Amino acid sequence: MSAKFRLALAAGKSINTLVNIIDKSRGSNLSGEKALLLDSKMLSHFKGVDPSKVLFITGTNGKSTTNNLLNHILKDNGFKVISNLEGANLLAGVTTSMIKASNLSGRVDADLYLFETDERFLPIIREQLPAANILITNLQKDQVQRNGDPDYIYRRLEKAFRDGVPRMFINNDEPRSASLAKYSERSVSYGSEKHSQAFTKGDSYVTMPCPVCRHKIDFEYYNTDGIGSFKCAHCGYESSKEADYTVRDIDFESGTFTVQGVKFSMPYNTPYMIYNYAACVAVAHEMCGISIEDCAKSFGNFKNVGGRIQVMRYKGKTIKYMRIKQENPETFQSSINEMANDPSRKMVALGLAPLVDFVPHYAVSFYAYDCDFSKLVEGDVEKYFCFTDAVCYDTANRLIYEGVDKDIISIADNEDPEQIFKEIEQAETDNVYLITWLHTYENMEKYLKKEGAEFE
Amino acid sequence: MSNFKIAWMFPDTLFLHGERGNLLALERFARMAGFDPLTDKIDLDSKDFNPEDYQVIFFGPGEISAFPLVMETMDGYKDALKAYVDAGRPMIVSGTSVGMFCKSILRSSGEKMDCLGFIDAEYIENEKVYGDDIFFNAKYRGKEMEIIGNQIQMGDLILGSEKAFGQLRYGYGNTGKALDEGAIKQNSIFTNTLGPMLICNPWLTIEIIKQAAETSGLKADESALNSFDDSLERASLKTKVEFIKNKETHLKNCSL
Repeated sequence: MSAKFRLALAAGKSINTLVNIIDKSRGSNLSGEKALLLDSKMLSHFKGVDPSKVLFITGTNGKSTTNNLLNHILKDNGFKVISNLEGANLLAGVTTSMIKASNLSGRVDADLYLFETDERFLPIIREQLPAANILITNLQKDQVQRNGDPDYIYRRLEKAFRDGVPRMFINNDEPRSASLAKYSERSVSYGSEKHSQAFTKGDSYVTMPCPVCRHKIDFEYYNTDGIGSFKCAHCGYESSKEADYTVRDIDFESGTFTVQGVKFSMPYNTPYMIYNYAACVAVAHEMCGISIEDCAKSFGNFKNVGGRIQVMRYKGKTIKYMRIKQENPETFQSSINEMANDPSRKMVALGLAPLVDFVPHYAVSFYAYDCDFSKLVEGDVEKYFCFTDAVCYDTANRLIYEGVDKDIISIADNEDPEQIFKEIEQAETDNVYLITWLHTYENMEKYLKKEGAEFE
Repeated sequence: MSNFKIAWMFPDTLFLHGERGNLLALERFARMAGFDPLTDKIDLDSKDFNPEDYQVIFFGPGEISAFPLVMETMDGYKDALKAYVDAGRPMIVSGTSVGMFCKSILRSSGEKMDCLGFIDAEYIENEKVYGDDIFFNAKYRGKEMEIIGNQIQMGDLILGSEKAFGQLRYGYGNTGKALDEGAIKQNSIFTNTLGPMLICNPWLTIEIIKQAAETSGLKADESALNSFDDSLERASLKTKVEFIKNKETHLKNCSL
């Protein structure tokens, strides 16, 4: 053990102890961040790590859910797992998890190492911890302020994988990530059959360039936005008819599906979780030898705490909050579809907000034009309410461009919970959908708790 | 049959977020001007595309890795496209795709890509992505206007003899070091402004429709266009300018 590593480890462990006493909320990243200042290659210096037991979970959407569910399945089946469940998915976050899990000499001991890794930072993390297993959820447009276009991320991943990856778990129905299978010595595909909430989009929407030849990819349908059965008519690149692990018999009403004939219950019966479920079964079975039947048992008692739907009752209204990731049309489209699939009369409160991840913040809502509102707008909506500062007028305009009558749209240029819920109270319908990002919702949740709302 | 055709160039290859909004805006205001608009998607497999058949041509931003194929596809009609621009007809190009119309693109890998050379400029890809709001003054068809939007900058636009489209009041613009934003050649716009720029700035869209009509020998209902109630877009611009004024920035080229 080098002196630098010893010092970094001691510092990291001391910080973790202090964090536990002072402020546990800062514990996911801090010790790794500081320890890396003392030993910038610290992650590569832990002892006892077998790369064949390391899995990186990367991609645009679904990393945290997949990591949470996989951890649950493995632990439920008696496996010892080291992971970054707190969601810090950069080099410092992974390092923090290892500092916490290691003994005083920097040795770690686990059956499996599962790390959610940010897609931009995966190359840097993998330089120090050469994971032999990579799971890619999907590669879509997201956080363009950071990531630019998906090709920017794609090229970074290609660079990280160019020397080969022993095993990759690949989403069969997402063109970009599926095309990265060429870098794996062994690829395991996962996917889903077409389900009842699959959809298509009108001709005015775009699809994506083929990652192989750059011509247009055609989707026969989307199971979730940007993911479904696809084909490039120009070069013939297409999703396989059959993935190695395919989710079938999906019944959102009863919340069940099957894999290889075994019945599973869904922790959350929403379309965008389906591919996460398929990925988890594939990894649990392939990497750990857990039987499909035992996987199914573990699904039954899983709860994803960080899920994107929260139901609450407030002054006679049932408010369904659906979390969206900002700048991410896929999660927004899923929420729109969820509302559109509800035939009853509803109020829609939309709180798209400026992006405030880092300096400079910016007032962006352009991704809303990639989302298809037509089914929602054709449905029974009593009124729309656009709130949050800076982009509320643009949100209203998006609805107007979809054909919504101006008279049923109200606008509030702020995030004041009192004003927002006053507007909600005035709706005649008791069925209210609230769509915004987590930060705005957290302030609203505090207000609702103070006002005595009941949470399911 | 449509009397106002819009060409949406390579929509499934060149797009980032929300460019579709620009086509919706062009159609909306063309309809307001009394036309029956139709948007054609022109892609890599489109046969017999002739720019002359269109009143407006629109290019969204795209992945630079796709540019060689796109430029190769355009090879068959690039002279006609240049004549379209030279004739003062409106072509709108946004984001990275501006690079294709420069003399060359220098990629971050060091590779140099020869481009179409419509504008006297070079495009230099940056290693890092920069995203921010953008707010500038521009003049189109002699009309002064304020333009607001977003910019996801993946490279710097180095203008030679070309005139900038706008002068920044806030934003990165072409280089992050000066006030130049985009370029204008006749009535064709090359801008860093992304997303539904033509929805957020209907005053520009209206002038583009007028220009498209004029250079096609069509008569637009200008009184309908001029009486458009843009209070929603004005409110949007005002709240976003306030947002910009109050936010932290590392840019030093301009400040509100």
